[in-house]
Amino acid sequence: MLERLTAEQVDTFIVELKFIAVITMTDGDYDYLIKLLALGDSGVGKTTFLYRYTDNKFNPKFITTVGIDFREKRVTGLLGLQYQAYTAANPNGTTAGKTFKVHLQLWDTAGQERFRSLTTAFFRDAMGFLLMFDLTSQQSFLNVRNWMSQLQANAYCENPDIVLVGNKADLADQREVQEKQAKELADKYGQVYFSHTGFRVIPYFETSAATGADVDKAVITLLDLVMKRMEQCVDKPPAEPANGNGATKLGDTQPTEKKCAC
Amino acid sequence: MDLSFLEVLERETVLEVLRRDKQLRIIEEDRIRRMKYELQELRRKGAKSYARQYGERTCARCQRPLGKFWNSGAVCRGCSHRICSKCRIGAVDWKCTVCHAYRDVKIRSGEWFLEEKAKKFPVTKDKYETVGEKLLKISNVLSHISVVPPTPPPHLDYNFLSRSGDLKNSRPFTKSMENLMVSFTSHIKKISTSQNDVREDLLSVDGGRKPARFKFSTQKSLSDTDINKSSTLFKVPSLPNLFKKSKDSDHEGSSTGAEEETSFSSEQSGGKRGSCSSISTDCSILDGLSVTGELELAVAYNPGSSCLDITVGACRALVCGDGKKKCRPFVKLHVLPDKSCKLKTSVKKNTTDPVFNEVLKFDIERHLLYGKRLQASVWHSGTLKRKVFLGEVLIPLDAWTSNNKDLQGFNWYPLCPKRPENSSGGAAEHDRVKHSSNNLGV
Repeated sequence: MLERLTAEQVDTFIVELKFIAVITMTDGDYDYLIKLLALGDSGVGKTTFLYRYTDNKFNPKFITTVGIDFREKRVTGLLGLQYQAYTAANPNGTTAGKTFKVHLQLWDTAGQERFRSLTTAFFRDAMGFLLMFDLTSQQSFLNVRNWMSQLQANAYCENPDIVLVGNKADLADQREVQEKQAKELADKYGQVYFSHTGFRVIPYFETSAATGADVDKAVITLLDLVMKRMEQCVDKPPAEPANGNGATKLGDTQPTEKKCAC
Repeated sequence: MDLSFLEVLERETVLEVLRRDKQLRIIEEDRIRRMKYELQELRRKGAKSYARQYGERTCARCQRPLGKFWNSGAVCRGCSHRICSKCRIGAVDWKCTVCHAYRDVKIRSGEWFLEEKAKKFPVTKDKYETVGEKLLKISNVLSHISVVPPTPPPHLDYNFLSRSGDLKNSRPFTKSMENLMVSFTSHIKKISTSQNDVREDLLSVDGGRKPARFKFSTQKSLSDTDINKSSTLFKVPSLPNLFKKSKDSDHEGSSTGAEEETSFSSEQSGGKRGSCSSISTDCSILDGLSVTGELELAVAYNPGSSCLDITVGACRALVCGDGKKKCRPFVKLHVLPDKSCKLKTSVKKNTTDPVFNEVLKFDIERHLLYGKRLQASVWHSGTLKRKVFLGEVLIPLDAWTSNNKDLQGFNWYPLCPKRPENSSGGAAEHDRVKHSSNNLGV
């Protein structure tokens, strides 16, 4: 492919290497497909946040998302659950052997009210959630409560994995929400709402899509929670979930391990 | 829930996103299929074959014999099979290799998530569908209606059928298609008990028409929904199903005639797409012929013409199909789970050791061989188009996805009795369900 390019094109090729890595990852060569979803009020920066995460770029223009969208990124994990960006130059991470590849599908939703029925429908197909608000907007922070109840109604289970993200941390002079407030809210949701299933932490991060601060960390933390969740789901005794919430039509979705094989 | 509340441009934008999502889903489904296939293979390796006694004290995974006192094995918590110490993974809370692989696949395929989701949102359909998938389908259906001409009125069909039909037989044809299907199955059931000549005649006439009609109805509805269809064609059984199925295959060959009968008739009511000649012959499996003999095959992939070349060499020591002295064998090839294309050799006369030396070609892209199996079945071509099943060989084709020189050249494969239909995988099942609903809907 390289031979066909002229010298100038090779320059752009190298600059656009990340982009090309995105294109070539349309194969099944990964170990996990993890679907995460960003939600929150309109204008809190969900799209720019994801753009920063996947492409490491910042677009200050506000372009409202129409309904839904998604971005993809492939990360490799070491056995100790540390992740690093998957690029064409470094396809297997630094150590060979004990790595695994995660294909992330990051759903971006419209914050606008008029798309609500569409976006909330997509909640149920996501494995983890980035609940975002704008640190410079008290209203977007107050609405976290509403988003939380939307999640409980529409997500795949009552207590999905969530990371609370306060975005636009770089705009320190316009800040309206204090770190302490947000942390308390995260703790409250971690304990009160999900007390019936045991204590579950909702991590909180202050990020900036403009500078890139803590963007990776927030996503990786969520990914980590989801990865732990899947281990738990598979290892828990299969008898327990069946009588939990009165779901009767489970039929063939139940693990058949314990059933008679005839 | 649909996209009708959006403006035209917005809808196009969202649909574009959903189409991208579909691309990813196709890749993912392919990955999962491969993964589950590997798991199935791992299970099959350990499956007790009919040649072995089930009660024998061997490790359920590696088949090594277990001692009474020393290396006596222990029961795996997952599958309750007795496992030798070498086939365990983990220390205290160990699992056998298969149970461990099963757990691993459940995580890596995202099956865990589907199970969790089903607890809150019970699935009513036979497969999981994401919201995006659903929306895309709905919009496809809507656009489909405006483009495709209406399906022809039923009388066309009737003319078509009665033109060549025999008056005596015309009664079932006037019935609606559903009834036809029902009567069809009931005929078959009757036949399996009393091999009445007249009925058999009726059956073959019946059957002879069915596929033609089938083509007729599907052609119309294929146009743009067939993208959806082709993706579901490659669906794999869900993990629990797979697990159950392979548990069944632990007891391969022990199935009784009665079991076969039930699986067979349900297959018919589903509207099988296979050849009709074999429909009438499937009955004769119930005669309880034992299967003996071997089949010589050479399988090679030709990248130049992107064909799977199968050379049918010969058979030896076949059982004589008719009970009389004359056996007229031929070999039929399918690439499972898609039963649509079928190739046959010529019929050899009066021999139980026929030599064919015929090359049959399947036109198939190499990467599509993943998860596919070659079914080579030997049949006796009897009188009145009656055919008797003499045995079959199933060969997983995954190995031919790469250039492997070791795999070329002839091999002798022992013939096996027919497996229950469901062992050919969920894809065929889906296929069937899809088609029957198509059929009844017209």
